[in-house]
Amino acid sequence: MKRWLLALLMLAAAPAAAETLVSTLSNSQVLITSSFDGATLSMFGSIEPGAEGTAEGPYNIVVVITGPLQSRVARIKTSNYGIWSNTDQVTFQHFPSFYAVISSGKLDAIAPPDVLAQYTVLPEDQARTTAQATGLKAERFSLELVRMMGEEGHFVMQEDGVRFLSNNAYAVNLQLPSDVVNGRFLVRTLVLKNQQLVTERTESFSVRKSGFENFVFVASRQQPLLYGIVCVLLALGTGWLAGVVFKR
Amino acid sequence: MQIYLPIAELSMNLFFLVGIGGAVGFLSGLFGVGGGFLLTPLLIFSGVPSPVAVASVTGQVAAASTSGALSYYRRGGIDLHLAMYLILASTIGAMAGVATFSALRSAGQLDLFISVSYLLLLGFVGTLMMVEAVRTMMRRRQGIVTPDRLPSQHSWMHGLPMRIRFKKSRLYISVLPVLAIGVFIGWVGALLGVGGGFILVPALVYLLRVPGNVVIGTSLLQVVAMMCVTTILQALTSQSVDIMLAFCLMVGGTIGAQFGASAGKYLRGDQLRALLALLVLAVAIRFGLTLVLPPSDPFSMAVLAGGLPQ
Repeated sequence: MKRWLLALLMLAAAPAAAETLVSTLSNSQVLITSSFDGATLSMFGSIEPGAEGTAEGPYNIVVVITGPLQSRVARIKTSNYGIWSNTDQVTFQHFPSFYAVISSGKLDAIAPPDVLAQYTVLPEDQARTTAQATGLKAERFSLELVRMMGEEGHFVMQEDGVRFLSNNAYAVNLQLPSDVVNGRFLVRTLVLKNQQLVTERTESFSVRKSGFENFVFVASRQQPLLYGIVCVLLALGTGWLAGVVFKR
Repeated sequence: MQIYLPIAELSMNLFFLVGIGGAVGFLSGLFGVGGGFLLTPLLIFSGVPSPVAVASVTGQVAAASTSGALSYYRRGGIDLHLAMYLILASTIGAMAGVATFSALRSAGQLDLFISVSYLLLLGFVGTLMMVEAVRTMMRRRQGIVTPDRLPSQHSWMHGLPMRIRFKKSRLYISVLPVLAIGVFIGWVGALLGVGGGFILVPALVYLLRVPGNVVIGTSLLQVVAMMCVTTILQALTSQSVDIMLAFCLMVGGTIGAQFGASAGKYLRGDQLRALLALLVLAVAIRFGLTLVLPPSDPFSMAVLAGGLPQ
């Protein structure tokens, strides 16, 4: 939440730019149904001339997608007297459950380090800024957490994911995994030219369960006793029915 | 075909879920145990978050045991009086187990605790059953017929006060060891997401000397009752019972259990016990190895409870 406000403030404080960005998402809402198996979103954008000046490329685009924030913990196992057990851990408060950086080229080639740092673009920075630890320990666990998130498909780096349709228009495809966390997703688009930030834009979409899936989830949270009783009746009923069907 | 699990918040293959439910159900029908000790680790290994796996398997175990318990009830193979005491005690144990589960999870030692308990419990029970089954087999080979009922040796347990007569089991014993076994089974079951049948059956046979014809039925009834209580407790406290996951497992499990039960008729009791002992020991060794062998990745991560947005 804090970071969103920060992003909005920076947006408001930006000087009257030579270019403006117009963009749209294919869906403002991803609905999860019983056959949900991940989703693909498309994003289209165009760099338009602003109040002053013209829009002439070549431009580079960096799109950063941040999923709902969670508290996550990374742990390390070490061997004590021959038994492997968790011995150390670092908690990451308000850490994104999903994070994707999609750009039109190698990040270090198209964006200066200060812009990357200012917008905490790099996944490692997401971990560093949320780690509840300091020094070497925070650094080590941050790198490992980002690696594990990447292995599970929650963190994505796609340095050739932005397709330019013309000099000023581009398209981006975003894949959401099937175990995506429900909630609000923030999409920040940075437009760069000659390694300088030209303009940027923030929009969002949400992922939520619909229909029966939503009903089940809400029931388990708001009527837990009733939900548990229904589970039990379902179990007893299924067991009884199987006994009857196979009795012959 | 993928199916979305609303509480686990991920989608899994429907046939895979029904399939592992069926495979474990077959074994549970064969041996008269719930099968939770196999299903819970299988689900965790397949990527289901462990709180959801532990809480949802309880529903499946209840379903798989229900049909078995019903058929034993029709045949008069249940000591209702004994089961009542066990159920009461295990309900209390289950409450303590659910509380312990939450405490260990926040301390980050749940994995270690689960591995060590599985190792000790399964290793101990598996060895015990193996030794007994092999001994019976050897006696049978020598031509000695072992009675269905174990000799009622008088142990220290029979000197305890508050003796109660359990007619169906032809027992006149103190209620204290019965309650102690019940509480322990309830606690372990809720904590590990297992029905506890694989502990209860040997405990009833070796400790209380319950005759063979009512052991399995009584144990199944106790498992059904305890799993129902645990499901409701988990729904109330951890809110991680996934009804869709549980239902997929139930459908496979109940069907598999029927086939397992009919396959069991072709095997002798001691052979069944030896096979079950092998299975239990294999799972124990698997948990033992994770403790001793260096992990492929020393790092692991988890979402802290309460971190999920509503």
